[in-house]
Amino acid sequence: MNEEIQIILETTEKVLQKNINHQLRQNIDQKNNDLINLWNEVEEIGLPKIVVKEKFDGFNLEFASVLPIIQLSNSLGAPIPLSETILCNYILSECDINPPEGMITFANVSKNIKISGNELSGELISVPYLNLTDKIMFITKIDGVEKVVFLQNSNLDIEQKKNFLAEPRFNVNLKNNNIIEIKTLNPKINFNYLGAILRSAQMIGSMEKILNLSIDYCSQRKQFGRPLSKFQAIQHQISEMAVELSASSAALSTIASSEDLSKNIYDIAILKIRTGIAAGKIIAISHQVHGAIGFTKEYELAYFTKNLNSWRNDFGNESYWEEFLGKDFLENSNKNLWEYLTY
Amino acid sequence: MSKFNFPFISETKELSNLRKEVRKFISEALINKEFEPAADGWVFSANPNFSKKLGSKGWLGMSFPKKYGGNEKTTLERYIVTEELLASGAPVAAHWIADRQSGSQILRYGTEEQKQSIIPKITSGECFFAIGMSEPDSGSDLASVKTKATKTDDGWILEGRKIWSTGAHLSNYMIVLARTSPASEKNRHEGLSQFLVDLSLPNVGIKGIPDMSGQRHFNETLFDKVKLPKDALLGSEGKGWEQVVGELALERSGPERFLSHFCLLENFINQFRHVLVKSGSQLIGRLIAELQTLRRMSFSVASMLQNGESPETQAAFVKELGNRFEKMMIESLREFSNIIPLYEWPNQLQNLFEDATLRIPSNSLRGGTTEIMRGIIARQLGLR
Repeated sequence: MNEEIQIILETTEKVLQKNINHQLRQNIDQKNNDLINLWNEVEEIGLPKIVVKEKFDGFNLEFASVLPIIQLSNSLGAPIPLSETILCNYILSECDINPPEGMITFANVSKNIKISGNELSGELISVPYLNLTDKIMFITKIDGVEKVVFLQNSNLDIEQKKNFLAEPRFNVNLKNNNIIEIKTLNPKINFNYLGAILRSAQMIGSMEKILNLSIDYCSQRKQFGRPLSKFQAIQHQISEMAVELSASSAALSTIASSEDLSKNIYDIAILKIRTGIAAGKIIAISHQVHGAIGFTKEYELAYFTKNLNSWRNDFGNESYWEEFLGKDFLENSNKNLWEYLTY
Repeated sequence: MSKFNFPFISETKELSNLRKEVRKFISEALINKEFEPAADGWVFSANPNFSKKLGSKGWLGMSFPKKYGGNEKTTLERYIVTEELLASGAPVAAHWIADRQSGSQILRYGTEEQKQSIIPKITSGECFFAIGMSEPDSGSDLASVKTKATKTDDGWILEGRKIWSTGAHLSNYMIVLARTSPASEKNRHEGLSQFLVDLSLPNVGIKGIPDMSGQRHFNETLFDKVKLPKDALLGSEGKGWEQVVGELALERSGPERFLSHFCLLENFINQFRHVLVKSGSQLIGRLIAELQTLRRMSFSVASMLQNGESPETQAAFVKELGNRFEKMMIESLREFSNIIPLYEWPNQLQNLFEDATLRIPSNSLRGGTTEIMRGIIARQLGLR
């Protein structure tokens, strides 16, 4: 890891640790001042634009190189769309759109998008963070050409919904809304691939936190006269969490060292599959070893396990990528399996 | 938590070329019918002629110094060669343990004389080794071994039994872990030593133990007051535990922990590809993701070994995940028989599947059980 990233990591950790407490995560439905303060501090150190070109006042880092920063901010459980903004700003910048100040969120599902002149209609489904921002980026196909669209409107027709974890998500009904920017998507950008990488890195950060919470809790909590961590049954469960996490991190390190992400679809599929599998196991084991306290709103664990459970479905879940990878090998390659694995 | 990290190591052009070279060698051997691909070939398929051939190619003890007949290649190069051999189901059992761990152990701890007399025979594929760790009353609890070596004026007297030693009946030597002084109350790991035991010595009795498939690969070895020369001691007296722990890192992290049954999977896919396209792509995608992740982790550990690190914990991760992958893979194939019944599978595939099914219970026992791996990891997490 280079020195620049190391410095950003240290600063990020300082700023986030100073400003995040679990109380902050409990009122994310509202746009409260503490969240705004947290965002301002994050913006102050330039984080939202670390992957943005210099001409747009960014740090111009490689997307792959900032994955450790995304991992870290999620291991600290920052309840703001920092990771989302980093990705949106990167895509805008690569498509030659000057990224805005402030938080920005993305819509990864859209329906019936139509554009006439400078006006837009259609639906955006299950968009996170619209309680905190009115800026949205999404990708859509217009006449067979992929476009990136940037919207900003305080009068959006928004319906508050929730995902299957009761986390706030929003549907947006677009009727003749003004587009702020629309550009042809830079062919090197694939939103679905980048989204899968982003969510995986976020999940790995969350899993690190969950593992540490489980170790700490089991070392302190005593039953039958000794700490839970001294029971072999508990030790083995927690070891399994570490095994799952290490496999996911190994898959991420492959991506983090790749030179051209857009050509690395095979490793992206592996990353999303491996991380999704790990997430399922880690959610189940961490709740099991925590007992009832982990099931409460006041304790941190569920904030992280809910994120995991939600993110593993974004940009294709395990089945989606398994099917993709299996077909890529079985149908599209005329290699035997060993040749396929060793290229 | 650096012990849980597996930095990505890429395969260089040189390594890919070596891979091609090994692959060519194997396909020629297959054409000449020198071997039949076998499941768990590194345990079950011993072919001293094939081992000798590998030795003459410079692919045994390939990282050892040239002055002992080695090739001074890297651990990564050795990784490539072993991967190719395992993936093809080649008969590598005869030399496997000597090449994987015993040779390195001698180079690390042995005397100059021991190195000169034994290492060149390992690299030429003419000297095979067995592991002398477990005993009838000591399995996972290795520190409880009772085999005893007593010092005499001209050497040692070795007394005890070793069990589950794969290939002992075909081997020239066994590295035996024995007690040379009583364990102290505080530390059971003290007082153990390793010995290089020539299995042709008088009073060494080797008896095969048929496994659940009826085949013989592992053995019980009786040492009935065997007289050992002074220089049978490997390394330092009393330091056997430290030595054996390092040996286990070599033993646990390699690709045999997840490629032992690869030839079954490959054969299965080649046979049923047309069916899998319709109803098995998700399963195959899952297997690819798991397998490729394991390959990267194991390759990363090979690089740590190359750099002189001691990746015992990372090795435990690879072994645990690898064993689990193999069991899951064989289970998935069994479930597939719902679509095409087993009795309609071609004979060779049926045989591979039978062998795999009968051998798979041992994958999470040999080289340290699942429970031991989890214990090692738990210790690193600060839980023990």
